[in-house]
Amino acid sequence: MPVKRLLIVTLVAAVPHRTAGAQGTAVVYGSVADTVGQPLRGVVRVVGSGFTSVADARGRYRLAVPPGRVTLRVSHIGFGPVVDTVTVAAGDSLEHDYRLRASALELQPTIVTAAKHSQLLDQAVTSVALVSDTDLARRAVSTVDEAVNLAPGVLFLNGQVNVRGSSGFVEGLGSRVLLLVDGIPANQGDRGGIDWDMVPLADVERVEIVKGAGSSLYGSAALGGVVNLITRDIPVGFHGRVRATAGAYADPPADVWTFRDYTGALGGLDGTASYGTETLRGSLTLGGRHSDGYREQDRSDQWETSGKGEWRLRPDTRLTASGAWTSHQYEVFPTWCVPNACDTRGQAFQPFRIDPSGRGSYTRSSKGYVAATLDRTASPTFAWQARGSWLRTHFTDFNPDDQSVSNRLGAELRGVLRPFGDDDRVVTAGVEGARTDVTSDIFGDHTQGEFAAYGEAEGRLGRLRLSVGTRLDYLGVDAAGRSVVVSPRIGAVVPTAAGRWRASVGRGFRAPTLAERFVTTRAFGFDVIPNPDLDPETAWSFEVGDALSLGSRGRLDAALFWTEARRLLEPTFVLVPPDSVPKIQIRNLSRAELRGLDASLTVLPVPALTATVAYLFLDSRDLATGSVLSFRPKHLLTLGADYRWRALSVGGDFRYTSRIERIELEAVFGRDPRVAAKVLDVRAGWQHGPLSARLLVANALNYIYNLVPRTLEPVRTFSVVLTWTY
Amino acid sequence: MRSRVSCAALIAVVLACDAGLHPTTACPGICGTVTFRGAVPDSTQAVYVVAYHTFPHSRDSLFTFQPPVTSLQGLPLDGAPAFYALPVDAGRYEWVLAVWVKQGFTLATADSTLREAGYYRDPADTSQPGVLDVDTSRPDSIDFMIDFGQMHPPCRYYDPPCP
Repeated sequence: MPVKRLLIVTLVAAVPHRTAGAQGTAVVYGSVADTVGQPLRGVVRVVGSGFTSVADARGRYRLAVPPGRVTLRVSHIGFGPVVDTVTVAAGDSLEHDYRLRASALELQPTIVTAAKHSQLLDQAVTSVALVSDTDLARRAVSTVDEAVNLAPGVLFLNGQVNVRGSSGFVEGLGSRVLLLVDGIPANQGDRGGIDWDMVPLADVERVEIVKGAGSSLYGSAALGGVVNLITRDIPVGFHGRVRATAGAYADPPADVWTFRDYTGALGGLDGTASYGTETLRGSLTLGGRHSDGYREQDRSDQWETSGKGEWRLRPDTRLTASGAWTSHQYEVFPTWCVPNACDTRGQAFQPFRIDPSGRGSYTRSSKGYVAATLDRTASPTFAWQARGSWLRTHFTDFNPDDQSVSNRLGAELRGVLRPFGDDDRVVTAGVEGARTDVTSDIFGDHTQGEFAAYGEAEGRLGRLRLSVGTRLDYLGVDAAGRSVVVSPRIGAVVPTAAGRWRASVGRGFRAPTLAERFVTTRAFGFDVIPNPDLDPETAWSFEVGDALSLGSRGRLDAALFWTEARRLLEPTFVLVPPDSVPKIQIRNLSRAELRGLDASLTVLPVPALTATVAYLFLDSRDLATGSVLSFRPKHLLTLGADYRWRALSVGGDFRYTSRIERIELEAVFGRDPRVAAKVLDVRAGWQHGPLSARLLVANALNYIYNLVPRTLEPVRTFSVVLTWTY
Repeated sequence: MRSRVSCAALIAVVLACDAGLHPTTACPGICGTVTFRGAVPDSTQAVYVVAYHTFPHSRDSLFTFQPPVTSLQGLPLDGAPAFYALPVDAGRYEWVLAVWVKQGFTLATADSTLREAGYYRDPADTSQPGVLDVDTSRPDSIDFMIDFGQMHPPCRYYDPPCP
């Protein structure tokens, strides 16, 4: 394995001797508390590096830092962050106490995804949506996709993520959004889709969603956006967290839809334990969940584990190893029942009952990754990171029977140069490689190699902050062709009295997945035949946006976007000699245009109340036919509000998704009912010391709807989450 | 500002109260809604909607309707408009009508215990029965009125009709 060998050599060469680093140690210590002196488990971080400390239950922190002048950022859920600059000599220590003011709005968040290095949100040249730890805590959700779903401009269609309408719905074959876990690509090796259950939500500290083409830094699949799951830092000392979830699904709202004689339940238990010293830290999470499902043949059982270890060799050097593994067995709800296929009890459709042809369908799916990352700040002006990763997915379907195993080995070496030691000039460059293999009875046995080099330079020209970069990707697939893709991006940010304006132009692409090239199966009664000669999809994304701070009272962000995509991969009917029987094949077919407005507003009219409004207007066109693109709703509106009073909090979200105008296979599903989606979630929480209880009623009005054909979306779901934190 | 937030929440709830998908009766052949006029006679046993391929011009053809007797479902007689669904075979239907059945009905007394209580009329000439073609499309708006004050015995439609 050349990639493995390269990775090992790189890591061994990069690990410095411990004695060499001991001389450079300095320490900042102290406490973090709120304005009345209550201790907070705040996070103290050195800006622009990986040095982090999490305060303990008494609010005490201790942070090893590089000697000299360092900028510290102290933050905690529900409180405004404090940025402080201190100077400390080598071998010395300095005590600093911090008092944080309550604030639900983080005015200057730090992000790491938009430019592949740490920067302030206002410095990003593209739109970035954040799901903060505050959002995760107050929403009381159980899975990662639930957490991402309500982000501005994001819509899930039966588990498939859309950022500004990027993917539509393609039955899990390929995603035009790239998933990262701490910066490590995590899309499936065979189908290119996303396993949202790969990482336990308990491990996720925040989510960054970069909108528009991101291939200039991330390569394939970042055609419509990038979603980066940032996992939690490990604090010093012993810490633990146990979370129990229990709930129930509403029964069908009409007797004629009844499909079982009991109320469906759901439940789960997970726990995390961690222990950390100044040099070594580790955490382990174990969990399991069961759901009866809200419709017929919808049970699922899931077991998950994850772990993370850190070795802080020196204040400027950190080795991180992490991994996660999830085993998920779930029944498959094929499509709902319609007349002539089953007994509909006189109804035009039975949304809670399955089409009998899919009876007995279920899937065993396991997926996981291990990764190692070495971060080193070699000097005040240069830092680099080396990482290696192994991603494995395995699924076995029953009725119809098929299976696939894929492995993706990846490595990346990246450097970030700040010639003047500040953010006024930043150069990021790196090389990345990956080898993917798949063994499957429907995709065949194949391998794919990817190699890439990228670079991006940022600099200030007066008030303007300019960013220019490009990436060169080479892809080679056995039994298929090779392709080279160049993905440039240029962008700028300029502060004005009317906010920080940003503009960018970038190219994105998505290489055909091994499944799309080599799939051989049957679907809808037709043979599906392979097409090894597929080319990558490409797109140009343009964006102009403005981020306006409303002081401490809120933030407005609005962007006009326009994406023109070419050679999109789509299934189509073909006549293949000699029998000329229609068959389904995936081909590079469409040219499409997606344009619109993506806006969000967060306000704090009073300190205890946070309100949010997010709106996406999407105008999508198939440029060949002039018709609307399928599975792209035109309007997406999200309203949210949360109010906190002492230990109690209440809140809710409302999501309106306009009726989907066009779907695939109109001839089959075109006469099915389609409605706009109007979903209200309400929640309440109570916190007392280490204990918290949260009540969530998702789809509280029990609005019955579907987004993809004959697939019912979740009904009203009542759940209680109890959390104990040590 | 609080009132605005409350207002927004209220709007959200109102918007969401539009109920989304709801049970929809499938039309297995001929469907529609019947409305009622007049008082339901005390001697009523039931009222059914049936369909004839060809107009019944004699007593011999009186029981050639569809659906089969075992599939007949009586209409609710609470005065409210009622939806009906006839599971009939594909084909041409010359007469879709409501049949009032008197208590004590037997085959032998059919002429005196059955009444036509209303029928689907040709939209172009409402004096004539409407003719339907049931094939892949299922006519689902075959609406007409049942008038308990204007009921007629079957022999009115025989050839020759009864006096």
